[in-house]
Amino acid sequence: MYPGSYFGRKGDNVRQDKSRYIIVGASAAGMAAAHTIRLHDRQGSVTVFSEEPDTPYYRPLIPFLVSGKKRSKDMALAGCGPYTGRDITVRTGARVESVNTAEKIVSVQGSGGLAYEKILFATGSRPYIPPEINGADAKGVFALRTLAHARNMVKRVETSDHAVMLGGGLLNLKVAFALLERGLKVTLVVYSPEVLSRLMEPEDAFLLRNAMDKAGLKIKTGCAATHIIADRTGVTGVVLDPGGEMSCHMVCIGKGVRPNVEFLEGSHVRIEKGIVTDRYTACSAPDAFAAGDVAVTFNPGSGDRIMTALWTNAVEMGRCAGRNMAGVKTAYSGTLGILNATQVAGEPFVSMGVVHAKDHDFEIYRHATETTYRKVVFNPEGTRLIGAVFIGDITNAGLYRYVIREKMPVMHIKRYIIDHTLHYGHFVTGNI
Amino acid sequence: MLKPKEIFVKTHRCVGCLSCTIACAVEHSKSKTLFGAIWETPVPKSRVYVQWVEPDGKVPLVCRHCEDAPCMYACISGAISRDENGVVITDTDKCIGCWTCVMVCPYGVIGRYLEEHKAYRCDRCPDREIPACVSACPTGALVYETVDSFSVKVRKHVSRELLRAERG
Repeated sequence: MYPGSYFGRKGDNVRQDKSRYIIVGASAAGMAAAHTIRLHDRQGSVTVFSEEPDTPYYRPLIPFLVSGKKRSKDMALAGCGPYTGRDITVRTGARVESVNTAEKIVSVQGSGGLAYEKILFATGSRPYIPPEINGADAKGVFALRTLAHARNMVKRVETSDHAVMLGGGLLNLKVAFALLERGLKVTLVVYSPEVLSRLMEPEDAFLLRNAMDKAGLKIKTGCAATHIIADRTGVTGVVLDPGGEMSCHMVCIGKGVRPNVEFLEGSHVRIEKGIVTDRYTACSAPDAFAAGDVAVTFNPGSGDRIMTALWTNAVEMGRCAGRNMAGVKTAYSGTLGILNATQVAGEPFVSMGVVHAKDHDFEIYRHATETTYRKVVFNPEGTRLIGAVFIGDITNAGLYRYVIREKMPVMHIKRYIIDHTLHYGHFVTGNI
Repeated sequence: MLKPKEIFVKTHRCVGCLSCTIACAVEHSKSKTLFGAIWETPVPKSRVYVQWVEPDGKVPLVCRHCEDAPCMYACISGAISRDENGVVITDTDKCIGCWTCVMVCPYGVIGRYLEEHKAYRCDRCPDREIPACVSACPTGALVYETVDSFSVKVRKHVSRELLRAERG
């Protein structure tokens, strides 16, 4: 039907470019979808638009640019892991301004329109800057999201000796440690009673907190920033409540993200904070799909509609969308609202599923040693595992995720779950 | 095209001697000898695991190099890829030790060097014709075959059992 790309006939007044598949956004969801489409449709043209100047890269690696452990070319997506498909056109520095879903045309800043047969919205999210922080537009204030942001941050690091991080989530912690590695003094200011409050309850975090304190990170909890003070050289300090003024040369805001949906204004695509999708990743306009941070999806455990901002989820949903776009109808399995693994201050940890148990009558088991901590959360009846936090020892975490996600009845394996001794052998005992 | 061989596990044959785990760790050491390996830092670790299931089951577990490998898609640093033989490889240089692969592997066969921040897994011994664990297994619980040849043997075995049952 359509060759690799299709240009309008000679003599047309308007150049009528067309791409069978258009993908808006060239990060995890968008690129996973592009390469998945290629597996199922070798012919149809795939065009991916990215407003960033850089070719697609592994976004979670940008703190390593700050620490100096990786260069931007070490973060390139092309040719790594599943990203080996060919004939995918990626247009960088190309912002999609609007979409006409009735006529199926996107409008690209500076280069006019492009028609499509199927489109994926994978525009991701951007950092949320709370309006109550005054002066957040000063030079030296960062909210790390892109490689370009990271490069700017590296420049600022050279003239800074104290950084204040606002927000105690994973991204800010990773950046905080990257800055510590660069030799800066770093203060983390958290409004919640403890760091990582989205991923665990305060009492779960004590091992991590100890490790962070030992590693030299200064942490102020229960504290908010009201003003960022700056002069012509940029940031010179922040005003904290409580705590008053604290001098610093850079501020990094990590207060969560908001989906990038503005380009869909007036497009009739249904939006509830993010883009609403059905079980097959389709959104409300014809032949249009959404995946990644920008999409509203669901939690298979609770059935709740959720949005997550996680690379791994974005890839999974992007792959599913890619299959659906290429005509292979595939239901998306949804995702747990919380699904994080990492290592901070030398402590590995995993947090997944329902981990905030306060004010619920869940059945909970906690176990702490000098170097490890775990909490496993069952439903009130004690028949299903719904969440787990492992710190220090994350052995076989994937099996617990599997048990949570598949809503497995746990009677015969419950004591292994509680003791953290579950292994795959317990699932194959029928063969012995 | 010749289909690549895989490591299959016959759980009923495993006696839990752990020869496979020692052979694996030695193969993945710098010295490639047992006595050299135990003095190395970090101490080389086995990528095959033998789990015990009460009352008397032993289950050797090793990376399945899944066709739809969750670890490869989940990896946030591009460290996991599949080679031309279908083997899923973790590139140690690219690995940042974020443990996302550990969180998504449903078999629990991805190991961790915590100090080095590196994940490791079965690489099917690229320098050997037969993986070290298979060579070391004294009971034939681990076999290295193509899917086709292994399934033929399984079918034959089941057929024999059926016939035997029919004849009483």
